[in-house]
Amino acid sequence: MKSLLKIILWAAIALAGAGALAAIAFERREPLNAVWFVVAALCTYLVAYRFYSKFIAAKVLALDDTRATPAERLEDGHDFVPTSKWVLIGHHFAAIAGPGPLVGPTLAAQFGYLPGTLWLIVGAALGGCVQDFIILFCSIRRDGKSLGQMAREEVSKRGGMIALLAVLAIMIILLAVVALVIVKALKESPWGTFTLAMTIPIALLMGIYLRYVRPGRVLEASLGGVALVMLAVVSGQWVNASPAWSSAFTLSGPALALAIIAYGYAASALPVWLLLAPRDYLSAFIKVGAIAALAIGVIFVRPTLEMPALTRFVDGNGPVFAGKIFPFCFITIACGAISGFHALISSGTTPKMILRESHARMIGYGAMLMESFVGVMAMIAACALQPGVYFAINSPAGIVGKTADAAAATIRGWGYALDPQTMSALAQRVGEHTLLDRTGGAPSLAVGMAQIFSGTIGGERLLSIWYHFAIMFEALFILTVLDAGTRVGRFMVQELGGHLWKPLGRSGSTAGILATSALMVGAWGYFLWQGVQDPLGGINSLWPLFGIANQLLACVALVVATTILLKMGRERWIWVTLAPMVWLVAITMTASYQKIFSANSRIGFLSQANVLATQIASGAIPAEKFAVTQRLIFNNRLDAAVTAVLAVMILVLLVEAIGEWIAILSGRKAAVLHESPYIATKWAEGGD
Amino acid sequence: MTIVRNWPRNIWSWIRQVSGDAAYENYLRSTRRVARAEMARAGCCTIHAGPSTRATSAHLLTREEFYLHALRRRYSTISRCC
Repeated sequence: MKSLLKIILWAAIALAGAGALAAIAFERREPLNAVWFVVAALCTYLVAYRFYSKFIAAKVLALDDTRATPAERLEDGHDFVPTSKWVLIGHHFAAIAGPGPLVGPTLAAQFGYLPGTLWLIVGAALGGCVQDFIILFCSIRRDGKSLGQMAREEVSKRGGMIALLAVLAIMIILLAVVALVIVKALKESPWGTFTLAMTIPIALLMGIYLRYVRPGRVLEASLGGVALVMLAVVSGQWVNASPAWSSAFTLSGPALALAIIAYGYAASALPVWLLLAPRDYLSAFIKVGAIAALAIGVIFVRPTLEMPALTRFVDGNGPVFAGKIFPFCFITIACGAISGFHALISSGTTPKMILRESHARMIGYGAMLMESFVGVMAMIAACALQPGVYFAINSPAGIVGKTADAAAATIRGWGYALDPQTMSALAQRVGEHTLLDRTGGAPSLAVGMAQIFSGTIGGERLLSIWYHFAIMFEALFILTVLDAGTRVGRFMVQELGGHLWKPLGRSGSTAGILATSALMVGAWGYFLWQGVQDPLGGINSLWPLFGIANQLLACVALVVATTILLKMGRERWIWVTLAPMVWLVAITMTASYQKIFSANSRIGFLSQANVLATQIASGAIPAEKFAVTQRLIFNNRLDAAVTAVLAVMILVLLVEAIGEWIAILSGRKAAVLHESPYIATKWAEGGD
Repeated sequence: MTIVRNWPRNIWSWIRQVSGDAAYENYLRSTRRVARAEMARAGCCTIHAGPSTRATSAHLLTREEFYLHALRRRYSTISRCC
């Protein structure tokens, strides 16, 4: 009777999910209510978790709870600490959830809601969750080893080197692109800039409190910090209203970029307790709170999606970024569906804290489902905007024109209604001077979030405060990624540089710290500066580069996972990792090829460089813009070279791995697993 | 029934654990557990001369020392994703 009820319940969930997905896919009498998206996502997640992850746990990985995990065997109170799965999933989710699942879907909304939503749901269930889960399992079985170490041991030494280079490449491009998102969100915005600037002294205060006043009392310091940040958000309106203060906090794009570069350098070189750690605590609290509030808001307000299922920009001529759905939708949305970066977290601190092997299913697979849901909510928030408003905010001035009238005329020409007055009225309502040419996704997401929040609490009266809360929330945790990423990048540069010149590698050397920090900040700062100077907004070239690098890392992770499954004798089940790997290789290679060689100058870096070179040769470029154009040509060629290096790395890794797989399958090479030996757990079974 | 009665305490405890507020208590508990296990092992076997392993030989860190130590470890590796 009980099992019959279970069957009926799961059949009902599956039917509800299938029905909601069908409504999203086939309903063409727009607009559609957001509830369909929530139901489709949640039901698919439930079915995927209950059946697919259980299948992977039982058949593919054969998780063994009688085996002691590294947290038990190597417990030391520092890195290896047995932790309850309910606590660890919180840590893991806070670590994997960054700006990617918010910004990526917002940018991909230019294709309409359908492609991005389907990729978020299906990509996560069959790709991202599988990658996170299996890499977590592999790392648990290897005493918490990193992805690079596993690639070196299980695939080849070259595989390990590729993983290391891929991590460094992705760090540099990631930091540049997220910094660009902040610049685009805060330029000419005194309220937003003031709020974000205030988070620096607030974090310093928290740092001193946590270090000297009440060491390690994270909760009380963070609650105090959150209260001060909220005060800063509210007081930003008076800064905005005061001509003197407003002009002090009104910064241009280049000025903001320089400020962020200087900040990144300081944060990387300063003691970690002073700025980085307290900002991270602050950011984690606000991040989790804002995501929860968005989920509640979406369910409470049930917004209607104004964006059509598919826009005319499926043809590849989108103003937000150029390129067709395949492969660019799958490159643009990385973190909400599948992200190689997650494999670094799954092979970082989490495997050292896991209590039982079976917990890897909830933490690895489950946390990624939660991240996917964040992406779906971002898609809802972006698509709840009028399409004309969405394109006006996200299109660079180089495409739609510099004035409100020109932008409205261009967007109306695309078939989306927009009055110039609509944009100025909206900007006034959210407390901004203008919302035109705010590429990068953050401002349009903030407008969408503010509409949802104000529909729940405060109404129109609080719209501007909610907008700036959303901007602060996005910028705050982007800055945290910037701090932490620059610092880790610095360690990686120190490690690599130490091989060339010993003093550079000394972790305690002040000169080494300053030099490697400068190298790391200089690397991402260069790409940031390039993005700020780009007449097409920068996002068009940098975000796909970031997507390619991130998916390259996912390829590395899935190659490692497939090799380990083969060595474990699970040939029958290798499609579980092989299928998402083949898909990722197809999209990264196609995207790389198009970004380098496409004849469309908005897509292909080389053709863009050639167009500019031809303009110089024909005398179409005025003398005063000569130097800038030369730099743009160089930047496009540099981007083409970076993309080519990433693509070659994928190919080399694939050749290495396929050689290894053939050798194992043909019996020419013994399948040697580098797992830690089995030691039976001493803890009672099922204990948390 | 007990679960229902204890939910405010359980939620508070979960928040402290997830936020890292309880990290020092966890460290003390973990270090003592390791020390007890090592002592139990030593009691049932021959005691070997030489350096003992891990936590038994380490002195307990103060709350401030532990906080700084934990931060240094956490931010020397990738701890935040994109």
